[in-house]
Amino acid sequence: MPIDESMVGRSYPAPEPYQVGREKIREFAEAIGDDNPAYRGDDAIAPPTFAFMLGSRALESLLGDPELGLRLDRIVHGAQKFSYTRPIKAGDAIDAVSTITTVRKAAGVDVIMYDTVLTAGGEQVAVCTSTISHAGETA
Amino acid sequence: MSDVQVGTGLPPLTVTLRRADLVRYAGASGDFNPIHYSDRAAAALGLPGVLAHGMLTMALAARVVTDWAGDPARVIEYGVRFTKPVVVPDDDTGTDLQVSAKVVAVDNDNGTAEVDITAEAAGQKVLGRARAVVRL
Repeated sequence: MPIDESMVGRSYPAPEPYQVGREKIREFAEAIGDDNPAYRGDDAIAPPTFAFMLGSRALESLLGDPELGLRLDRIVHGAQKFSYTRPIKAGDAIDAVSTITTVRKAAGVDVIMYDTVLTAGGEQVAVCTSTISHAGETA
Repeated sequence: MSDVQVGTGLPPLTVTLRRADLVRYAGASGDFNPIHYSDRAAAALGLPGVLAHGMLTMALAARVVTDWAGDPARVIEYGVRFTKPVVVPDDDTGTDLQVSAKVVAVDNDNGTAEVDITAEAAGQKVLGRARAVVRL
């Protein structure tokens, strides 16, 4: 099935909440070379882009939708944006739901935008807006 | 941060990326796409070399803003376009990512500032429309 506008509105929840741990935040901060003390200890908050990881399980569901037929090796991450209601903190249990918001064709590729809403206990924490392009069979 | 004005420059940052840094980020982020560590996988897709994860470049560029803000919780919005890949060779030199930023708008009513970020590698801008909103 070709990717088209009829895919807009499809939602993909992560199968279970992501339990944010202080050591995972520290590991992530070290991987980006950031020694900011805010990222250490029991009260650690997560670096801004940590949120992308929390949406990755929802993204896996989206990528695994056989009706979309996306292939990881044909996908290019074009743009990413985060809007935070509050920072992600150690101890949070974060639910993620990705929803396709836009599908359009551009220069032989399908450009897909999706929003991943992150919540904790039903309260919104952040919205991650992603733009990916997917090259077709002939591209 | 009461003296922030349009045009205020943020302290710049240069980060050297080597292959080991990509492997470390792959582990920390869970993004094990082989184009971020395997020359063979990158070549099979016609890429110019092993590429840094876009999300790693985005994270490194954010450090200019969070270092300046002090408390990363002040960053309430952050977005980028990935315009050029950052090629990271398998050698000891690696690739330098140079990040700079400046304040382009101040909203006194909401107590926020907009910051434009420039990230360059190998003499080319690698991010487009890189912008953060910071609570002052």
